[in-house]
Amino acid sequence: MKQQQKFKTGKAPKIVALLILCFFINKMSVSAQDSAINEPSIDIRYFVNNNSAQYLLVRTRVKTGRKYKPLPNRQALVYLDSSTADNLIAKTVTNENGEAKIIISPTLKDIWNSSAKHSFTATLPASGKDAEVTASLDITKTKILIDTVNDGGTRTINVKVLMLSNNDWVPAKDVEMSIGVERNSSVLSAGSKETYTTDSAGVASVEFSRDSLPGDAKGNFVLAAKVENNELFGNLFVEKTVPWGIALKQDSGFFDQRTLWSTRFRTPFWLLFMAYSIMAGVWGTIVYLVFQIVKIKRLGDADATTPAIL
Amino acid sequence: MEKIILSSDQILIAPTPEKLLLKNSTSLTREEITRDLLPQKFGRKGMIWTITLIIIALIGAFAYYRQLRFGLIVTNMRDYVSWGIYISNFVFFVAISLVGSLITAILRLANVHWATPLTRIAEIIAVSAIVFASLIIVVDMGRPERFMNLVLHGRLQSPIMWDVIVICTYFFISLLLLYFPLLPDLKILIDLKQKTSGALNKLYRFQGSFWKGTKAQFRLSERSINMLCIVIIPVAFCIHTVTSWLFATTYRPGWDSTNFGAYFISGAFLVGAGAVVVAMFVFRKAYHFEKYITEMHFEKMGRVLVLLALLYLYFNVNEYLIPAFKMRKPEEAHLTELFAGSYAPLFWFAILVGMIIPIIILLFKKGRKPLPAFIAAVMVVIGAWFKRYLIVTPTLLHPFLPMQEVPASYHHYFPSWEEWAIAMGSLSGTLLIITFFARIYPIIPIHETIIENETAAEI
Repeated sequence: MKQQQKFKTGKAPKIVALLILCFFINKMSVSAQDSAINEPSIDIRYFVNNNSAQYLLVRTRVKTGRKYKPLPNRQALVYLDSSTADNLIAKTVTNENGEAKIIISPTLKDIWNSSAKHSFTATLPASGKDAEVTASLDITKTKILIDTVNDGGTRTINVKVLMLSNNDWVPAKDVEMSIGVERNSSVLSAGSKETYTTDSAGVASVEFSRDSLPGDAKGNFVLAAKVENNELFGNLFVEKTVPWGIALKQDSGFFDQRTLWSTRFRTPFWLLFMAYSIMAGVWGTIVYLVFQIVKIKRLGDADATTPAIL
Repeated sequence: MEKIILSSDQILIAPTPEKLLLKNSTSLTREEITRDLLPQKFGRKGMIWTITLIIIALIGAFAYYRQLRFGLIVTNMRDYVSWGIYISNFVFFVAISLVGSLITAILRLANVHWATPLTRIAEIIAVSAIVFASLIIVVDMGRPERFMNLVLHGRLQSPIMWDVIVICTYFFISLLLLYFPLLPDLKILIDLKQKTSGALNKLYRFQGSFWKGTKAQFRLSERSINMLCIVIIPVAFCIHTVTSWLFATTYRPGWDSTNFGAYFISGAFLVGAGAVVVAMFVFRKAYHFEKYITEMHFEKMGRVLVLLALLYLYFNVNEYLIPAFKMRKPEEAHLTELFAGSYAPLFWFAILVGMIIPIIILLFKKGRKPLPAFIAAVMVVIGAWFKRYLIVTPTLLHPFLPMQEVPASYHHYFPSWEEWAIAMGSLSGTLLIITFFARIYPIIPIHETIIENETAAEI
């Protein structure tokens, strides 16, 4: 009992003091992190859509404390293979999200065709206290092909990835990708797995198991294969329209209703009745009053000899 | 009302004796009243005023030429703020036009005769405001030649269609309400042709030479005016309710309110009454109408203004307190911007200058004297203009979906010089119509004033 009392009177303040100390140390460490020096960064990504439209996406950020913030309105320089004026792809300015999209100019065609592998360099020039920051990305030219096979009612999607090597297109193996149907700006997997990987022949095959997907009015939907952030090839995307969906019949009856959101020829009867009766009432009165003026005029012409009141 | 029979075929409708309020009315003869109230040529100040207005209107016309030539890109309206200062001006004009129904119709039907000298002022304010309300809508259109599409292909379900219909209707009714009581005065002006120029006399003859002042003509005219007074009240309520519905039927923070119709009407009554007090003071000073627009008129209109300002303040509390109490996320950004953000100075200016300070001034008897009442009314009108701007613009800058990947200029709105010039030009145009009307026609009804004066003398 005495010991307990001793603990209460003797140790308790020490423990409280220790807890307070720990709290302040933690706070100081957090605030020290928060007030850390700003660290700008830049990264670059490569995209190919349907084997034709190549573009680059540059993203700039700054680390303030423990948070990353975009760097808007900052100039960024992007080079192909070497950081010389001749190899400059673009001098761009980031948008409010700190990003910039760059199309590779046709003037660099010769450099582009000279090799199967290229490297891109993005530079964020020094600004104020911030030093220059550079990022680079190496890519190998790639082709991605999508094909479909319908074998006795079994539908298969075959995606082949080829990479350029010594002027020949050779299969690219172990490339991970998602294969499926384009839905809501994403790819709904065509099979049971989230992603598929190419084999030694550079092919990834998926048996199409989604038989009840709605398509457009003709039953068409878009198959897509998407490689994301691959270390060698960047971001690849290919699509193909197939008539594998269920034809969607528009409910035209919905638009034939007489509603407030219908066309002018489908105005609700109650609104027509109300509007026209009010208009007829008010404009009928106006016409009547104009007629009264005519009447007053006729009276005046007839009573030309009558003495006036004023 | 009582009838005074002058002869077998002539009749006058005179007000009841206790309603006669002309200062020293019985001491004034017909000739004196006619001489006092006849339209007068512009003096030096009048010329300066008119030329200034014409110059501002011409600058506005030039700015509109530039807008037609280069398109709406000359304005600072973009994807988000697509209703800028033009629509604020439109709402302001529609609001001011409501005064015609207040002074002329409501007070007439309520048998309130002290307002007789103010009826024509109120009606010409209504007509000129509604003319420019219509024009400013066309100005807001990037392709004005497509206005006819609204008539040819318009949907009756659209509040914009209702607005166009009701504005046209209100314009014609206001014009008729201006014209009918003018007929007896036109006869007086025609008879006094030695005092009016040839061109003006031709105009008077064209408009009212058929008026002989017979009993039958008066009966028809009185009946027509009464009908107009009855019809104009619901139409006037409609015009402002429908204008409020242009906003309230759009699901946006600040506009999503079932209260908007009543809120707009109360505000319209306030600014309209304020405009009449301003016009009363200016005409009284410019044309020396002290015998006709007396201190009693300022006293009464001051009381009307206080009542209307309190009513509008009540609706403002309703309009802002309830959303502020709930603070739904989309409303929060909008309300914070108004109460404490970049629009706060303008918001509190509109509340204080447009309502609270005028109420304080006009609550006191000394505050309802001509000059302080005029100052309070000017504050009401200026506050009301900014209030309309605040109703339109901040809401457009706070859509439900965040503004992303748009140029920085889309996040803000401040009118370009072309917009200011056109807005000021339209205000000048309104004042020019009133100015020229007062130059051509008696701004205080001569005939009605004489009748009231003589009725008082007889009693």
